[in-house]
Amino acid sequence: MTGAPTGLACSWAFLAALLALTGVIAGAELGGDFRLTADDGNSFSLAQTRGKVVLLAFGYTYCPDICPMTMAELSQVVKALGKDADKTQVLFVTLDPERDTAERLDLYLEYFDPRFIGLTGTAEAIHDVARRYGVRYEIHRDPNTALGYTVDHSTDIYLVDPRGELAAILPFGTPIGRTVAVVKESIEHGAGNGTSK
Amino acid sequence: MPSPLALGLLAWVLALGLYADSTIASQAGPRSEAQLAPGWGPLSYEPPEPGHYRLPPLGEAADAKVLDEHGRTRRLHAVLGGRIVLIAFIYTSCSDINGCPLATAVMHSLYATMQRDAELKTRLRLISVSFDPRYDTPERLRLYARALRGDGDDKDWSFLTTSSDADLKPLLASYGQAVEVEPARSARSADAFAHALRVLLIDPERRIRNIYSASFLHRDLVLSDVRTLLQEASVPRPVPQQALEPSPDGSPNRSSDGSLDGNDDRLSGIGDDPSGHDAEADQTGSGSLGMRRGAGALADLPRLASEPQLGLPPLPVPSDNPLTAAKIDLGRKLFFDRRLSFNETMSCAMCHIPEQGFTSNEMATAVGVEGRTVRRNAPTLLNVPYVERLFHDGRESSLEQQIWGPMLARNEMGNLSVGAVLDQLKQLPDYDGRFQATFGRGPSMETLGMALASYQRTLLAADSPFDRWYFGTRDSAVSAAAKRGFEVFRGKGRCAACHLMGSDHALFSDQRFHNTGVGYRRAMGDPHPVQRVRAAPGVHLEVPRSLVESVAERRPSDLGLYEVTQEPADRWKYRTPTLRNVALTAPYMHDGSLATLAEIVDFYDRGGIQNENLSPLIQPLDLTEAEKEDLVAFLNALTGRHIDRLVADAFAAEIGDRRSDPASAASHDSGGSRR
Repeated sequence: MTGAPTGLACSWAFLAALLALTGVIAGAELGGDFRLTADDGNSFSLAQTRGKVVLLAFGYTYCPDICPMTMAELSQVVKALGKDADKTQVLFVTLDPERDTAERLDLYLEYFDPRFIGLTGTAEAIHDVARRYGVRYEIHRDPNTALGYTVDHSTDIYLVDPRGELAAILPFGTPIGRTVAVVKESIEHGAGNGTSK
Repeated sequence: MPSPLALGLLAWVLALGLYADSTIASQAGPRSEAQLAPGWGPLSYEPPEPGHYRLPPLGEAADAKVLDEHGRTRRLHAVLGGRIVLIAFIYTSCSDINGCPLATAVMHSLYATMQRDAELKTRLRLISVSFDPRYDTPERLRLYARALRGDGDDKDWSFLTTSSDADLKPLLASYGQAVEVEPARSARSADAFAHALRVLLIDPERRIRNIYSASFLHRDLVLSDVRTLLQEASVPRPVPQQALEPSPDGSPNRSSDGSLDGNDDRLSGIGDDPSGHDAEADQTGSGSLGMRRGAGALADLPRLASEPQLGLPPLPVPSDNPLTAAKIDLGRKLFFDRRLSFNETMSCAMCHIPEQGFTSNEMATAVGVEGRTVRRNAPTLLNVPYVERLFHDGRESSLEQQIWGPMLARNEMGNLSVGAVLDQLKQLPDYDGRFQATFGRGPSMETLGMALASYQRTLLAADSPFDRWYFGTRDSAVSAAAKRGFEVFRGKGRCAACHLMGSDHALFSDQRFHNTGVGYRRAMGDPHPVQRVRAAPGVHLEVPRSLVESVAERRPSDLGLYEVTQEPADRWKYRTPTLRNVALTAPYMHDGSLATLAEIVDFYDRGGIQNENLSPLIQPLDLTEAEKEDLVAFLNALTGRHIDRLVADAFAAEIGDRRSDPASAASHDSGGSRR
């Protein structure tokens, strides 16, 4: 491919910027920063993770199947990342703040990887984050179960790049090798080209 | 004392630890088998052997308006792109892991297989279509695609959504995908969807061949089915059958195709009707024979050629070969003379069939004497005097000289030398004195060419409905659809960039050569390993291609204009043909590989076929379905007015044949054809 003339390249950049701007105004942009409570009880802002690749999962500790599978997968991903694990942060946002206290989240995640951070907050705050990332969830009351209710929720994992941009959405079932590759790509991309946007 | 939570998780982690494999399937081990769909794990039985079973067509894959992950509006048919397609209806925020995530995981596994398998990579395409346009915006699908496909080709795996529920509903209905909206139960939650997983396998002819539910969706089963489809040979697509019978009032019956006036092309049509060839009850039958009966009527060709026709520029006639009635008559006689071929069986008219648009509707590529293979489609002779460089590759510059190409080609008329043809003519009694009377000299390389060229210069066909509207300003000459189609033709469709028009006439050709990728595909495309051969009506044999090739004549390679110029950039460039009478001249392209006008429009809508020399003029067009239909209506309005006069004239012409009865052969000529 031949390079575009400079004038054209500039106008493209301008157009892209314009489109990005209108996207924000229209509220169409997915993702973005948020502030919740971490499993150590302290306030946590996504902005703290800038410079790292974030794997953002949503679920709840009473989840009978999908969440443990997802978190076990993520622990294998982090293991497979080797020293790149330092440049990666797994976050688990509970969709069940009623039962998932910071303490319970801490205990839960410790079994997968102590470096994982659990996040909770008010129902409103969590709903806001879920909405911005396009997470669907619904509480199903079921008095017949010991748990009282379950939370039906979408299963994607969101990859936020070192600049804080939502860079990929990994569906449940993505092979671990593929997830590792996407994370490494994002780390390299973030390190080499941090000012492109 | 550990809590129950900790114990439970411990069990999980221990169990997962035993499964170090990187696929979710193996991690799913601890779950009871009943809860996970088979697609998540290894198949518990052997998949059926490809090709040892049939996948009967279950219906047509409908078209629809969709949005791709870049936010571009596309037609679903264009995305199918003539490949075998696995299409899944999903939404990315689905919570049922035996639903959409299963479909996506199986797709990913197939995608990975495709990257290792060259045949699958060129033949298979994966499409995930969201039925959740509100959440699954192109942006979200792009993020999804990045995770699953990285920088891979979106032609291998496309993610589609729709721009609105209005576009979505007909799409779901036509594919039988029931989706029920489960309304949100609280202000905090969003609507969810109840749906049964449906993943469809579609063949290159856009027929649905299998539908997988969650219980049967498994990579290995899909692969067996895909390989079974790959083994089905490419049977040539049927040429569209036009009704041959005149309408009850005796008026031409083609008036529904955009020409409100109707046209004088009642005598045109295909010979054998290929529709229904797959049925056991099918019988071959020639439509031509019925049409010929009583239809012959010699025309005043010199006068027809001298009358200006609306839409055509003045007829170019070389100064050293002015048109005369005698030359035209002699040329016509030669044109229909089978004795001018190597084994006295083949005339010019047997590939340039008058009632088939002076080309052959039944052959994608021509067949020469003794069934020899010709690599290209016979071009129409209608309006051929306006073609500046003849043959698909432009290697000849005048009709007078061009005629010697097919005369001497080993796989066409097969004559061994110029002298052999001239000697034959000199000893045929019905030609005795004809050349002398016409040219003042006997048959020669030059005079034979002059006579045949003169007849061909009379094969003019314009004054079409389009001409009467556009050049003749008769507003009612064409339909509104054809008028809209004309706007697409010279606007969004960019057709007029090559199919040029002038201010007071139009040849619909720039007389230049372009690479559309058709030649590239012919040369570089992977042939099917198995060829489907029709042995009898309703009886097909699947024969390994290697076996066919061991007994068949190999199709000669074809590099287009490169063969003339030896310029590497000219590989697979072919001449822009005229579009006049295009409704009568199927199949299309230099190799006859496209059967219908709709296929042509689809082909250019897709942006041709990618290759390094693809003409930059050819790019995806994003035409809507309505625009495509309008374009076809426009093309159907380009059929010339007086074609029947040419065809009837041809029907009346004597056929030079060694075996013909002298009495009938001499009906309008002084000499018999028997020596």
